[in-house]
Amino acid sequence: MNAKNLVFLLLTVATLVFASYQISAQGQNDPWTPQQLLAPADLAKVLNNSKTPQPTVYCIGMDAIIKGSIDVGPAMMPENLNTLKQKISKLPKNASIVVYCGCCPFSRCPNIRPAMKLLKDMQFTNYKLLNLPQNVKVDWMDKGYPVSE
Amino acid sequence: MLVFLLLSGSTVLTLSAQQTGLESGNRAPEIKLLTLKGDTIALSSLKGKLVLIDFWGTWCSPCVEEQSELSKLYTKYKQLTYTNGKGFEIYGVSLDSKKTNWENFVTKNKINWIQVSDLKFWRSPVAKTYNIQGLPFNVLIDGKGIILAKNLHGADLEKEIERYSVIKKTEK
Repeated sequence: MNAKNLVFLLLTVATLVFASYQISAQGQNDPWTPQQLLAPADLAKVLNNSKTPQPTVYCIGMDAIIKGSIDVGPAMMPENLNTLKQKISKLPKNASIVVYCGCCPFSRCPNIRPAMKLLKDMQFTNYKLLNLPQNVKVDWMDKGYPVSE
Repeated sequence: MLVFLLLSGSTVLTLSAQQTGLESGNRAPEIKLLTLKGDTIALSSLKGKLVLIDFWGTWCSPCVEEQSELSKLYTKYKQLTYTNGKGFEIYGVSLDSKKTNWENFVTKNKINWIQVSDLKFWRSPVAKTYNIQGLPFNVLIDGKGIILAKNLHGADLEKEIERYSVIKKTEK
Protein backbone atom coordinates (compact mmCIF):
# COMPACT_ATOMS: atom_id res chain seq x y z
CA MET A 1 0.00 0.00 0.00
CA ASN A 2 1.46 3.32 -1.04
CA ALA A 3 1.33 6.53 1.03
CA LYS A 4 -1.58 7.98 -0.98
CA ASN A 5 -3.76 4.92 -0.36
CA LEU A 6 -2.80 4.92 3.30
CA VAL A 7 -3.88 8.55 3.71
CA PHE A 8 -7.16 7.78 1.92
CA LEU A 9 -7.76 4.79 4.20
CA LEU A 10 -7.05 6.83 7.34
CA LEU A 11 -9.39 9.62 6.20
CA THR A 12 -12.14 7.08 5.48
CA VAL A 13 -11.76 5.52 8.92
CA ALA A 14 -11.77 8.95 10.59
CA THR A 15 -14.93 9.93 8.69
CA LEU A 16 -16.67 6.71 9.72
CA VAL A 17 -15.68 7.17 13.38
CA PHE A 18 -16.95 10.78 13.34
CA ALA A 19 -20.19 9.74 11.64
CA SER A 20 -20.82 6.94 14.12
CA TYR A 21 -20.25 9.37 16.99
CA GLN A 22 -22.81 11.77 15.57
CA ILE A 23 -25.30 8.93 14.96
CA SER A 24 -24.89 7.78 18.56
CA ALA A 25 -26.12 11.21 19.69
CA GLN A 26 -28.89 11.25 17.14
CA GLY A 27 -31.21 8.37 16.39
CA GLN A 28 -32.64 7.93 12.92
CA ASN A 29 -36.00 9.51 13.74
CA ASP A 30 -34.83 12.19 16.13
CA PRO A 31 -36.09 15.70 15.34
CA TRP A 32 -32.64 17.30 15.21
CA THR A 33 -29.60 17.25 13.00
CA PRO A 34 -26.00 16.73 14.15
CA GLN A 35 -25.45 20.44 13.46
CA GLN A 36 -28.14 21.29 16.01
CA LEU A 37 -26.25 19.64 18.86
CA LEU A 38 -24.47 22.28 20.93
CA ALA A 39 -21.36 21.23 22.85
CA PRO A 40 -21.56 22.06 26.59
CA ALA A 41 -18.12 23.70 26.45
CA ASP A 42 -19.34 26.09 23.75
CA LEU A 43 -22.43 27.14 25.72
CA ALA A 44 -20.37 27.50 28.91
CA LYS A 45 -17.95 29.77 27.05
CA VAL A 46 -20.81 32.00 25.90
CA LEU A 47 -22.48 32.09 29.33
CA ASN A 48 -19.18 33.01 30.97
CA ASN A 49 -18.72 35.97 28.67
CA SER A 50 -21.53 38.47 29.18
CA LYS A 51 -20.18 40.60 26.31
CA THR A 52 -21.17 37.98 23.74
CA PRO A 53 -24.80 37.74 22.59
CA GLN A 54 -26.62 35.35 24.92
CA PRO A 55 -29.03 32.69 23.68
CA THR A 56 -32.33 32.08 25.46
CA VAL A 57 -31.80 28.80 27.32
CA TYR A 58 -34.80 26.69 28.35
CA CYS A 59 -34.73 23.77 30.75
CA ILE A 60 -37.29 21.31 29.43
CA GLY A 61 -36.41 18.75 32.13
CA MET A 62 -36.59 18.57 35.91
CA ASP A 63 -34.62 21.54 37.23
CA ALA A 64 -33.06 24.62 35.62
CA ILE A 65 -29.53 23.87 36.77
CA ILE A 66 -27.73 25.86 34.07
CA LYS A 67 -27.07 29.47 34.98
CA GLY A 68 -29.61 31.85 33.50
CA SER A 69 -31.82 29.13 32.06
CA ILE A 70 -35.59 29.34 32.17
CA ASP A 71 -37.49 26.51 33.88
CA VAL A 72 -40.28 25.16 31.69
CA GLY A 73 -40.71 21.72 33.26
CA PRO A 74 -40.55 18.28 31.63
CA ALA A 75 -41.62 18.73 28.00
CA MET A 76 -43.12 15.25 27.95
CA MET A 77 -46.09 16.74 29.81
CA PRO A 78 -48.50 18.61 27.49
CA GLU A 79 -48.97 21.50 29.90
CA ASN A 80 -45.20 22.13 30.04
CA LEU A 81 -44.87 21.83 26.27
CA ASN A 82 -47.63 24.40 26.01
CA THR A 83 -45.73 26.68 28.40
CA LEU A 84 -42.68 26.41 26.13
CA LYS A 85 -44.87 27.18 23.13
CA GLN A 86 -46.21 30.31 24.78
CA LYS A 87 -42.76 31.50 25.77
CA ILE A 88 -41.11 31.00 22.39
CA SER A 89 -44.05 32.38 20.44
CA LYS A 90 -42.98 35.81 21.69
CA LEU A 91 -39.51 35.41 20.12
CA PRO A 92 -38.51 36.15 16.53
CA LYS A 93 -38.12 33.04 14.35
CA ASN A 94 -34.38 33.58 14.09
CA ALA A 95 -33.87 33.91 17.87
CA SER A 96 -30.95 31.98 19.31
CA ILE A 97 -32.57 29.27 21.44
CA VAL A 98 -31.02 26.40 23.39
CA VAL A 99 -32.99 23.64 25.10
CA TYR A 100 -31.70 21.01 27.51
CA CYS A 101 -32.93 18.29 29.84
CA GLY A 102 -30.07 16.15 31.17
CA CYS A 103 -32.10 13.74 33.26
CA CYS A 104 -30.90 10.64 31.44
CA PRO A 105 -28.97 9.51 28.37
CA PHE A 106 -30.48 10.90 25.15
CA SER A 107 -31.82 7.49 24.14
CA ARG A 108 -34.04 7.37 27.25
CA CYS A 109 -34.92 11.03 27.68
CA PRO A 110 -38.67 11.60 27.26
CA ASN A 111 -38.40 15.41 27.11
CA ILE A 112 -35.98 16.46 24.39
CA ARG A 113 -37.90 15.07 21.41
CA PRO A 114 -41.24 16.87 22.05
CA ALA A 115 -39.37 20.16 22.63
CA MET A 116 -37.20 19.89 19.52
CA LYS A 117 -40.20 18.85 17.43
CA LEU A 118 -42.13 21.89 18.65
CA LEU A 119 -39.28 24.23 17.67
CA LYS A 120 -39.10 22.58 14.28
CA ASP A 121 -42.87 22.73 13.74
CA MET A 122 -42.92 26.41 14.73
CA GLN A 123 -40.28 27.00 12.07
CA PHE A 124 -37.57 28.46 14.25
CA THR A 125 -34.30 28.70 12.38
CA ASN A 126 -31.63 29.04 15.06
CA TYR A 127 -32.29 26.55 17.84
CA LYS A 128 -29.98 24.00 19.39
CA LEU A 129 -30.15 21.01 21.71
CA LEU A 130 -27.48 21.03 24.38
CA ASN A 131 -25.48 17.86 23.89
CA LEU A 132 -25.71 16.16 27.29
CA PRO A 133 -25.37 12.54 26.21
CA GLN A 134 -25.18 11.14 29.76
CA ASN A 135 -26.86 13.68 32.05
CA VAL A 136 -26.57 17.27 33.25
CA LYS A 137 -24.49 16.25 36.26
CA VAL A 138 -21.77 14.42 34.38
CA ASP A 139 -21.75 16.56 31.24
CA TRP A 140 -22.23 19.96 32.85
CA MET A 141 -21.97 20.20 36.64
CA ASP A 142 -18.97 17.89 37.06
CA LYS A 143 -17.10 19.93 34.45
CA GLY A 144 -17.50 23.08 36.52
CA TYR A 145 -19.66 24.92 34.00
CA PRO A 146 -21.87 27.74 35.38
CA VAL A 147 -24.90 26.69 37.40
CA SER A 148 -27.78 28.67 38.83
CA GLU A 149 -27.82 29.55 42.53
CA MET B 1 8.52 -13.88 58.22
CA LEU B 2 5.35 -15.65 57.01
CA VAL B 3 3.57 -14.75 60.24
CA PHE B 4 4.69 -11.12 59.84
CA LEU B 5 3.36 -11.02 56.27
CA LEU B 6 0.04 -12.56 57.30
CA LEU B 7 -0.32 -10.08 60.15
CA SER B 8 0.54 -7.16 57.88
CA GLY B 9 -1.99 -8.30 55.29
CA SER B 10 -4.65 -8.65 57.93
CA THR B 11 -3.90 -5.14 59.24
CA VAL B 12 -4.15 -3.67 55.72
CA LEU B 13 -7.50 -5.40 55.17
CA THR B 14 -8.83 -4.15 58.49
CA LEU B 15 -7.73 -0.58 57.76
CA SER B 16 -9.26 -0.77 54.27
CA ALA B 17 -12.58 -1.93 55.72
CA GLN B 18 -12.61 0.92 58.23
CA GLN B 19 -11.93 3.55 55.61
CA THR B 20 -14.95 5.45 54.30
CA GLY B 21 -15.09 5.25 50.52
CA LEU B 22 -16.89 3.88 47.53
CA GLU B 23 -15.00 0.68 46.90
CA SER B 24 -16.03 -2.78 48.05
CA GLY B 25 -14.67 -3.24 51.56
CA ASN B 26 -14.93 0.47 52.41
CA ARG B 27 -17.37 1.88 54.92
CA ALA B 28 -20.24 3.48 52.98
CA PRO B 29 -20.45 7.28 53.43
CA GLU B 30 -23.17 8.39 55.83
CA ILE B 31 -26.46 9.68 54.44
CA LYS B 32 -28.96 11.61 56.56
CA LEU B 33 -32.02 12.78 54.68
CA LEU B 34 -35.67 13.52 55.23
CA THR B 35 -38.53 11.10 54.67
CA LEU B 36 -41.84 12.12 53.11
CA LYS B 37 -43.17 12.74 56.61
CA GLY B 38 -40.28 15.05 57.44
CA ASP B 39 -38.36 12.75 59.79
CA THR B 40 -34.64 12.28 59.35
CA ILE B 41 -33.39 8.74 58.82
CA ALA B 42 -29.66 8.11 58.85
CA LEU B 43 -28.18 5.26 56.88
CA SER B 44 -26.12 4.39 59.97
CA SER B 45 -29.34 3.78 61.91
CA LEU B 46 -29.78 0.60 59.88
CA LYS B 47 -26.65 -0.93 61.35
CA GLY B 48 -27.09 -4.65 61.85
CA LYS B 49 -29.05 -5.19 58.61
CA LEU B 50 -28.11 -5.98 55.05
CA VAL B 51 -29.03 -2.74 53.24
CA LEU B 52 -29.54 -1.84 49.62
CA ILE B 53 -29.08 1.90 49.04
CA ASP B 54 -31.18 2.56 45.96
CA PHE B 55 -30.61 5.89 44.18
CA TRP B 56 -33.53 6.62 41.90
CA GLY B 57 -35.96 9.26 40.66
CA THR B 58 -39.48 9.28 39.29
CA TRP B 59 -38.11 10.99 36.15
CA CYS B 60 -35.81 8.02 35.46
CA SER B 61 -37.76 5.38 33.56
CA PRO B 62 -35.39 2.42 34.24
CA CYS B 63 -35.57 3.31 37.96
CA VAL B 64 -39.34 3.34 37.87
CA GLU B 65 -39.40 -0.03 36.12
CA GLU B 66 -37.02 -1.44 38.73
CA GLN B 67 -39.23 -0.51 41.70
CA SER B 68 -41.55 -3.48 41.16
CA GLU B 69 -38.54 -5.83 41.18
CA LEU B 70 -37.29 -4.21 44.38
CA SER B 71 -40.70 -4.73 45.92
CA LYS B 72 -40.46 -8.47 45.26
CA LEU B 73 -36.91 -8.61 46.65
CA TYR B 74 -37.94 -6.68 49.74
CA THR B 75 -40.82 -9.04 50.48
CA LYS B 76 -38.70 -12.11 49.88
CA TYR B 77 -35.57 -11.10 51.79
CA LYS B 78 -36.53 -8.57 54.48
CA GLN B 79 -36.79 -11.13 57.26
CA LEU B 80 -33.88 -13.39 56.43
CA THR B 81 -30.64 -13.56 58.34
CA TYR B 82 -27.38 -12.82 56.60
CA THR B 83 -23.77 -13.65 57.28
CA ASN B 84 -23.23 -10.11 58.50
CA GLY B 85 -26.66 -8.76 59.27
CA LYS B 86 -30.11 -9.67 60.47
CA GLY B 87 -32.89 -8.61 58.10
CA PHE B 88 -32.79 -6.82 54.76
CA GLU B 89 -33.72 -3.16 54.26
CA ILE B 90 -33.89 -0.86 51.27
CA TYR B 91 -32.84 2.76 51.78
CA GLY B 92 -34.35 4.54 48.78
CA VAL B 93 -32.75 7.87 47.97
CA SER B 94 -34.87 9.85 45.52
CA LEU B 95 -33.16 12.43 43.33
CA ASP B 96 -36.47 14.06 42.54
CA SER B 97 -36.86 17.82 42.77
CA LYS B 98 -40.62 17.92 43.20
CA LYS B 99 -42.03 16.38 46.36
CA THR B 100 -45.44 15.78 44.78
CA ASN B 101 -43.94 13.57 42.04
CA TRP B 102 -42.02 11.55 44.59
CA GLU B 103 -44.93 11.27 47.03
CA ASN B 104 -47.49 10.36 44.37
CA PHE B 105 -45.30 7.59 42.98
CA VAL B 106 -44.51 6.14 46.41
CA THR B 107 -48.17 6.19 47.40
CA LYS B 108 -49.51 4.84 44.12
CA ASN B 109 -47.00 2.00 43.99
CA LYS B 110 -47.30 1.21 47.71
CA ILE B 111 -43.56 1.40 48.29
CA ASN B 112 -43.13 0.24 51.85
CA TRP B 113 -39.38 0.57 52.39
CA ILE B 114 -37.49 3.64 53.59
CA GLN B 115 -37.70 6.63 51.27
CA VAL B 116 -35.59 9.76 51.77
CA SER B 117 -34.66 12.78 49.65
CA ASP B 118 -33.34 16.33 49.81
CA LEU B 119 -35.33 17.15 46.64
CA LYS B 120 -32.24 18.60 44.98
CA PHE B 121 -32.19 16.51 41.79
CA TRP B 122 -28.59 16.23 40.51
CA ARG B 123 -27.53 19.01 42.88
CA SER B 124 -27.94 16.67 45.84
CA PRO B 125 -24.67 16.51 47.81
CA VAL B 126 -25.30 12.76 48.14
CA ALA B 127 -25.00 12.38 44.35
CA LYS B 128 -21.56 13.94 44.63
CA THR B 129 -20.51 11.95 47.69
CA TYR B 130 -21.45 8.69 46.00
CA ASN B 131 -20.03 9.85 42.65
CA ILE B 132 -23.21 8.88 40.86
CA GLN B 133 -22.78 9.00 37.10
CA GLY B 134 -26.32 7.98 36.19
CA LEU B 135 -29.48 6.35 37.50
CA PRO B 136 -30.43 3.78 38.56
CA PHE B 137 -27.50 3.25 40.88
CA ASN B 138 -27.30 1.18 44.04
CA VAL B 139 -24.91 0.05 46.76
CA LEU B 140 -25.29 -3.08 48.88
CA ILE B 141 -23.85 -2.81 52.39
CA ASP B 142 -23.58 -5.28 55.23
CA GLY B 143 -24.62 -4.96 58.88
CA LYS B 144 -21.47 -3.03 59.66
CA GLY B 145 -22.01 -0.54 56.86
CA ILE B 146 -19.29 -2.05 54.67
CA ILE B 147 -19.81 -1.99 50.91
CA LEU B 148 -20.35 -5.48 49.47
CA ALA B 149 -21.30 -4.59 45.89
CA LYS B 150 -22.28 -1.69 43.64
CA ASN B 151 -24.75 -1.18 40.84
CA LEU B 152 -26.15 -4.68 40.56
CA HIS B 153 -29.59 -5.08 39.04
CA GLY B 154 -32.08 -7.84 38.24
CA ALA B 155 -30.84 -11.39 38.67
CA ASP B 156 -27.32 -10.23 39.57
CA LEU B 157 -28.65 -8.24 42.52
CA GLU B 158 -30.79 -11.09 43.82
CA LYS B 159 -27.90 -13.53 43.44
CA GLU B 160 -25.71 -11.24 45.54
CA ILE B 161 -28.32 -10.90 48.29
CA GLU B 162 -28.85 -14.66 48.20
CA ARG B 163 -25.11 -15.18 48.55
CA TYR B 164 -25.09 -13.52 51.97
CA SER B 165 -28.30 -15.06 53.26
CA VAL B 166 -28.24 -17.98 55.65
CA ILE B 167 -31.88 -18.81 54.77
CA LYS B 168 -33.37 -18.54 58.20
CA LYS B 169 -36.32 -16.42 59.29
CA THR B 170 -35.40 -13.84 61.88
CA GLU B 171 -37.33 -13.64 65.08
CA LYS B 172 -40.07 -11.02 65.02
